[in-house]
Amino acid sequence: MLEIRDLTVRYGGILALDKISITVPKEETVILVGANGAGKSSLINAIIGMVPTAGGSMTFEGVDLAKVAPSMRAGHGIGYSPEGRRVFPTMTVRDNVLAGASRIGRAAQADVYDKLATLFPMLRDKSDDLAGYLSGGQQQMVAIARAMSASPKLLLLDEPFLGLAPVWIQQISDAIRQFSKSGVTVLMTEQMAVPALKVATRGYVMRGGAILREGPVAELRSAALAEEYL
Amino acid sequence: MQTKTSLLSRIGAAELIALAVMVSALALPFFVSNAATVSLLTQIMIGVMGALSVYIMLRMDLMIFAVPAFMAIGGYTAAILSVRHDVTDVFLLVAASFGIPFLVAIPLGFLVLRMRGVYFVLVTFVLAEIMPLLLFETPRLTGGSNGIAGLPAVVAFGRPIEDSTSILFMCTALALLATAITVALTRVFRPQFESIRENELLGQSLGLLAWKYKIYGFCVSAGIAGLAGFALVEMLMTAHPSSFSALSSVNYVAYTIVGGQASILGPLVGAALLVWASNLFSLQGEVSQGLFGILLIVAVIFAKGGIVGVVEKLRPKPKASRLTAS
Repeated sequence: MLEIRDLTVRYGGILALDKISITVPKEETVILVGANGAGKSSLINAIIGMVPTAGGSMTFEGVDLAKVAPSMRAGHGIGYSPEGRRVFPTMTVRDNVLAGASRIGRAAQADVYDKLATLFPMLRDKSDDLAGYLSGGQQQMVAIARAMSASPKLLLLDEPFLGLAPVWIQQISDAIRQFSKSGVTVLMTEQMAVPALKVATRGYVMRGGAILREGPVAELRSAALAEEYL
Repeated sequence: MQTKTSLLSRIGAAELIALAVMVSALALPFFVSNAATVSLLTQIMIGVMGALSVYIMLRMDLMIFAVPAFMAIGGYTAAILSVRHDVTDVFLLVAASFGIPFLVAIPLGFLVLRMRGVYFVLVTFVLAEIMPLLLFETPRLTGGSNGIAGLPAVVAFGRPIEDSTSILFMCTALALLATAITVALTRVFRPQFESIRENELLGQSLGLLAWKYKIYGFCVSAGIAGLAGFALVEMLMTAHPSSFSALSSVNYVAYTIVGGQASILGPLVGAALLVWASNLFSLQGEVSQGLFGILLIVAVIFAKGGIVGVVEKLRPKPKASRLTAS
């Protein structure tokens, strides 16, 4: 579904991604794990077009993403939940979630919201609350629901467990499994490898803008790897 | 689940108050007869429209200084139609003075809305600077330095609007129309405008076509400035380049900032207070501009969210969720 070949990203003179290649097969949940500065978020930002690439290629369902404007990538079926949630604090929960579904009609938006509220009941309870007043876990749910509101084929989750209590991590992990069961392909980044590897099928270990190792999560979960890389 | 989709159900308290205030203001001409007060109120209504034009763009975090340029387009459109083509029907003139700046803003928007921050501010100020030059250099169309004088009275429902009280009523009705348009636009596109204001890049990554909503806002902002221009030429009974100087753009921005940019009540309150203060200070002769400047400085220092923002702070916070562990 998503093929990335020899992707390079630079911030001025700093090399953030050094010719990395990854494959995200359809209907799989792929995890990118690594410490701060490994290049995980740079890769996600390159996929959605928030940072320019300095080389390599990205192909999504056969379409060269370099030829697709960032605002059009969501229309091609790529949903995105950013690191640190980044909800729109002065907007209500409902408006936040539907900000990701601006291209569909109001009636369809209501259906989408109802469907997401069955997965995240807090969306129903706090629909008219300002998102800035929610707790971190609730904001993360809003950010994920916002990414899912356009019914994407590929869901990009940048550090969805960052700074969350175990109870929220469990709920979000369950939601990711539900998305996966419904046919959504997921690419997520995470520093917290243990819970992240529980929801993924394949994984990549990153360090210093390069891929150190890849494979099924069973391999990556081994204690030796965890000690060495994570 | 109950879903609120109609525009009426999504209008907030501030918008309802703003509309109620403007509807109530329609009664003013029936109670005010003093010429100076009528003139002051007419200026306030024009200021409200100029400030609303700025307010719309500030909803998208875009500071616009081109209001006088679009006011000139709207004002001269009405003047040319009435003097050269004998169009005096107020509804046709309102439609033209809104529509022509709106249309002009489409290609301009594609050019200037690519810029952000200080570059956008500078480009819009340059537009305001260029407009008087264009008016001076196109005498066949605009009368050049003589302007267009001797505007015939506009006609509404067969009755001419020629005395100052009738003109105040017309300007108040235009300000009400501008308020209603602003409420409709900022409510219908509220999520999009707020996404652009708070994090445009994130909005784009969610599929938001930011340029499209910026164009909508820019065009409507231009149209409302055009209505203000129409009101101004009707008040002065003449269209002249000096009425649309680039520096007057600072006033419209000041009305919005001092009143408070977070709510539609801000431009209304700011325009009323500063136009009134400006008239009051003008009695002090040479120091009037200094007094006006001091008022702006005091307002910015002691009311950072504007006057309406300070009042909002004194009210209880909007309903907040119970804090839970993150």
